[in-house]
Amino acid sequence: MLRSLCSRLVPHSLVCAFTRGMSAYPPHYIEAIFSKKKQLNLKETDEYIKLSHMPIKAAKNDESESIFYNELVNKMVNYITKGGNKKLARELLTKSFECMKRVQIERMNLNPDAKDTIIADPEQLLIKAIENSRPLLQLTAIKRGGVKYQVPIPVTEKRSYFLAMKWILEAAREKERKVHLPEKLAWEVLDAAYNQGRVVKKKNDLHRQCEANRAYAHYRWS
Amino acid sequence: MAVALRFGSNFLKNNINYVQNICRITDSYTAQIQASRNFGTEVTVKAAPLAVKKQKVSQAMKAYLERARENDEFMKTQKLEYQIGKRHLANMMGEDPETFTQEDIDNAIEYLFPSGLFDKRARPLMKSPEEVFPARKAAEFDETGRPFHSMFYTGRPNFFKLLYDIVEEMNNLNDLEERMLRRGTRADPNQKVDFTGFQWLTKDQLEAILVEQINDLEYTNFTNAMDRLVSLPFSYKSRDFINKFAKPLLDQTKQLEIPKPQFDAEGRQFVTTYECLRKTARGDVTVRLPGTGKITINGQDITYFEELQSREQVLFPLIFAEMLGKVDIEANVEGGGPSGQAGAIRWGIAMSLRSFVDQEMVESMRLAGLLQRDYRRRERKKYGQEGARRKYTWKKR
Repeated sequence: MLRSLCSRLVPHSLVCAFTRGMSAYPPHYIEAIFSKKKQLNLKETDEYIKLSHMPIKAAKNDESESIFYNELVNKMVNYITKGGNKKLARELLTKSFECMKRVQIERMNLNPDAKDTIIADPEQLLIKAIENSRPLLQLTAIKRGGVKYQVPIPVTEKRSYFLAMKWILEAAREKERKVHLPEKLAWEVLDAAYNQGRVVKKKNDLHRQCEANRAYAHYRWS
Repeated sequence: MAVALRFGSNFLKNNINYVQNICRITDSYTAQIQASRNFGTEVTVKAAPLAVKKQKVSQAMKAYLERARENDEFMKTQKLEYQIGKRHLANMMGEDPETFTQEDIDNAIEYLFPSGLFDKRARPLMKSPEEVFPARKAAEFDETGRPFHSMFYTGRPNFFKLLYDIVEEMNNLNDLEERMLRRGTRADPNQKVDFTGFQWLTKDQLEAILVEQINDLEYTNFTNAMDRLVSLPFSYKSRDFINKFAKPLLDQTKQLEIPKPQFDAEGRQFVTTYECLRKTARGDVTVRLPGTGKITINGQDITYFEELQSREQVLFPLIFAEMLGKVDIEANVEGGGPSGQAGAIRWGIAMSLRSFVDQEMVESMRLAGLLQRDYRRRERKKYGQEGARRKYTWKKR
């Protein structure tokens, strides 16, 4: 999620050589840096001067500099979306946030001593849940001598975020049918934020399996 | 006037003979490379009788000489026709033929032969034959068929010579660095070649200089080699060589002219941006400076948009430029859906706000992608496919 900016700034001369593909923009256009914080960080490096000569793609219509904007939350909305109905997905996540907050405030009131330790900000809860359920390793089948081995390989940062969000959502969608998604999602997120629940268990299981198959790890390169 | 109209067909008729294995020539880099051995077409033609006397001439050379002679003759007649055509045209337009320029010719043609054709290249034109008929490469081999260039058999002698030249420059710089180090002096960091704001010639421009077609990989090799040359500590010693292939980049913000705000009846500054486009939506946006943050979209306030995302989009440039609550917005949009309309208004607000913020903020807004028109449109459905990209399910049986 928090991709390093530098990777986007491929040298201009290199980009030119590639074919245009399907994009509406010419290949030397670079993605917009719409966050002010990122721009400030960039200003300290000498990349900033180079940027003044580069044409920029228009910011996407789900990006914004508002205080309510969060990259991870935005991504989650995109994963919840079905059939292009983003409006509904956003509503569902908002409802889920409300649900989370209610639960947390209830906990706060039940246990006034631990008021400071309980997080009531649903965005923070979601981020914590995702961070807790991010896998480090995954298994892939690699064929060696006619036998398929389950080989542990490291997961890239982007994919680990994807898997975490996918697992949380899957877990929420799997639960009983009578409860609506926002509630189920809120429960799953709360569980994961406290390092409990199915998603974290799934991650740990995967890690355990990878640990068990560590003997095959060398098949990755030999 | 026949000249102007016959040009197209002439070009087709006569050029078939020449198209085969001769490439083009221009007079910049290749001219430099081959300046020492000047085998231009005319020279070779004059040398031809001598060569015939001396020894038997190779088939390829014979064919080349024939082509070169035909080309020279053809160009001569074309030039003559062009001159005559120009004089006729000048007389027709009632102007002095001696001072009739190419610009006058273009204007006269546009006036005399108005064309409704959309493509500019399809309209009638009259240009000097040097422009219409591409230049071609001079003979690359002598009468016995022996190539002049040591890299003739690479197929792209000029390109590979260029790569060799780059490496030679690099080797020279490395030697120089070693000698300097032995003497105890280092490269002057102040003089280092600063390549920011420059880029290498594009593939097309390089091809024009080399008079050769190169592929993408070869072009990448060229840019990589040049990048390495620039990165050397003593690269400023071969600045002339580098400058030959460097092209300055334009500053992106300075290209956009910022409109001066006007004053309305109440004495408030305002800027109106017309033709705010996004998807199929189109609208115009007016931003008034001392304001209270009032937003009017088609007579309604921001609740014109039911979706939160669209409202956020409208506010995006205002939040970014920290002008929320300081300006009033009036927008009229039509066409498209809420997302497109919001995008159009966003662009309009951002463009108008440029007049009310400082230069640094304008650059910042540009980096944020607010000043770029979003050209993306709905992709069309393709026949034989379910949609733009999705294919029909395919079952073998």
